[in-house]
Amino acid sequence: MAMINIQQITKKYTTIVALDAVTLEVRQQEFFGLLGPNGAGKTTLMNLLVGYLNTDSGTITIDNDKVTQDSLEVRKKIGFVPQSLALYDELTAQENLEVFGRMFDIPRKLLKKRIENRLHAVELYERRKDKVKTFSGGMKRRLNIIASLLHDPNVLLCDEPTVGVDPQSRNAIFDFLTSLNKQGKTIIYTTHYMEEAERLCSRIGIIDHGKIIALGSTDTLLEQLTYEETITINKNPLTVKNKKVFEKFGILLEEDNYFELKPANGFILSKFFTDLENQGIQYSWVELHRPTLEALFLQLTGRRLRD
Amino acid sequence: MKQVFRLFKNSYRLFWNDKVSVLLTFIVPLVLMTIFGSIFGGSSSGPNGIRLAVLNQSSAPIAKSIESSLDTMKSFLIIKSFTDDSGKVLSFDTLSIQDYIRNGKASAALILPPDAFADTSMGLHVKFYYDPKNDVEMQTIQGLIQQVVFSQFPTIIMQSGLRQAERFLGIQSGIAFNHNMASIVHKYFHVDTNLILHPKLSDLKITHSDSAKSGVDFFKNVVRIESHQLVGKEVKNPWATRSVGGWAMTFLLFTLTASSSSLFEDRKSGVLLRLLTSPVSRVHILWSKYLFNMSLGIIQLLFMFLSGWFMFQIDIFSNFFNLILIIIAASTACTAFGMLLAAFSQTRQQAQGLGTLFILSMSSIGGAWFPINFMPATIQFISKLTVVYWSMDGFLEVLWRDVGLVSILPHLGILFGMAAIINYISVRRFKKGHIFD
Repeated sequence: MAMINIQQITKKYTTIVALDAVTLEVRQQEFFGLLGPNGAGKTTLMNLLVGYLNTDSGTITIDNDKVTQDSLEVRKKIGFVPQSLALYDELTAQENLEVFGRMFDIPRKLLKKRIENRLHAVELYERRKDKVKTFSGGMKRRLNIIASLLHDPNVLLCDEPTVGVDPQSRNAIFDFLTSLNKQGKTIIYTTHYMEEAERLCSRIGIIDHGKIIALGSTDTLLEQLTYEETITINKNPLTVKNKKVFEKFGILLEEDNYFELKPANGFILSKFFTDLENQGIQYSWVELHRPTLEALFLQLTGRRLRD
Repeated sequence: MKQVFRLFKNSYRLFWNDKVSVLLTFIVPLVLMTIFGSIFGGSSSGPNGIRLAVLNQSSAPIAKSIESSLDTMKSFLIIKSFTDDSGKVLSFDTLSIQDYIRNGKASAALILPPDAFADTSMGLHVKFYYDPKNDVEMQTIQGLIQQVVFSQFPTIIMQSGLRQAERFLGIQSGIAFNHNMASIVHKYFHVDTNLILHPKLSDLKITHSDSAKSGVDFFKNVVRIESHQLVGKEVKNPWATRSVGGWAMTFLLFTLTASSSSLFEDRKSGVLLRLLTSPVSRVHILWSKYLFNMSLGIIQLLFMFLSGWFMFQIDIFSNFFNLILIIIAASTACTAFGMLLAAFSQTRQQAQGLGTLFILSMSSIGGAWFPINFMPATIQFISKLTVVYWSMDGFLEVLWRDVGLVSILPHLGILFGMAAIINYISVRRFKKGHIFD
């Protein structure tokens, strides 16, 4: 059953088409990832889903309620974690949560209890009476997330909620979101980090230039690749000298310490190794990897995800 | 409505946590008001169109000359008649001209009574009625009138002398005496002897000669100006009572402009987005901001008037109800102005820059710092389109003239009307603007 139903939505900013006839369904209790580079249309889609913006055409329903700028009731079903730290710096953590919680008509006693629970869940209870301006980036991010959960929504929309967060806090956020999903929340998570999407999401949509260009589970998506493995080759004077030899076998990306080869159609691994041997390149400099969504994005768009 | 109230309450919490805003709202205005108040002096440059009521009851040529001289001065707009309750235009008499001043339709009146230049008396006698609601304006009016009246001094003294000589010496001896006196006056005051001996109205040209000016103080007793203050005699601290409204308005506008532009901060931080993704509409946010700003304005004005009462003994309690009404109307209109700036600006900095510009302009042309009569006629007209003018005038009506509710109804109507029009424009602009996108 579709919890979120997006039908043919288009959104333009003057002449720029931010979303172009996007259709998407997200199932109940699904952890759905929306992966795409900056400017692909992820934030616009989130702003439409939450009723902050109106669509130019098309419809969005969440739990069978139509979402528009004027539909305030449906917002009670949605928790939105914005990309920015949408908090009052001059208020304490508890005061922030009280302000945002009260907007949802939550009775005072229940709100107080939920605030306590959520603060404990993200390990901020001890800092509840401190002003937010004294918090670290990671603490603010955690507070930013629980501020969206006080009304216990069925749907959680997270717009790049880990931007600028240290790895430790990021892991804590991932664990928290995963536990929420297990509790029954439907989550849409936008990111331009493929690792995040792969780790968290059961299904992923890849968006570029306002269009969904691929959709499915990680495995399903990777099946669309024309190869099964990517190859990395350590960088040294000999491999640099033989760059052209590698390029014969597919798309070669140059990183700081290694080359990454995305094999072309008809790639034969034994032929590749024979050529390396002929050039005196040692096998130990070469590694085979399972391809990533980054590789799929490159294949679909000709660009890298973070370009 | 609950949402508006919650947002409104939260705005106060935010305001109180921002110590800089609290400081700017209360302490800075108080300090500046005290400093400027203690050093502020008068200004005397270029008055224009000051309303002066004139009643000439004398048939003496000198009185005619003074009247026609006043008529030609651009500093004054001379008023000689009024419209009564039935719409009839009537010439002033001694009572109606005083009522005219009491009702605030002009700041001063000059009466040249029937005995202004009597045969049996020595010198000129005029009556001056005034309402010193604006100290600088009143000093200017008095200075200009004295200049006109005292410039007649040589003629006054000579004419008086001639008449007394004829009266006591007899016609023939008097004529001989008069010729001698005319020669002496001609020698020392450079006045034509023919003019002295055979005055005609057309010959009595008023010139502000050096000799006339220098004689002003010395011969003060020859020209007797009988002054009567008609309004504000009972006001304990006239200076403070007159100026508190102007200062209060200037700082109110600064506070409300800064506060209204806080919408930009909310947008920048993402709080606006979070609020708009909860069951809160754009209209809720605008109204909560409006209510917060308006109430903050009311509190600030009350604080300033209470400070004026405490520090300068301004009597705010004898007409407190009407004062509150004007405070509410002024805050409503000023808040609307602040919201308008926010609606038309792209950034907070832009709103504050524009705000400073408009506030200083409106305060100066609205009469917050000096009398509007010192400005050109066009600016005086524009002045009456400003929130500052009507607010200040309302405060003066209440504190200085101690008027009742009926007298301030026009002020209330205009201020609330301005607020309604400005709000209408703001809301339309907010809908089209970028602040919520």
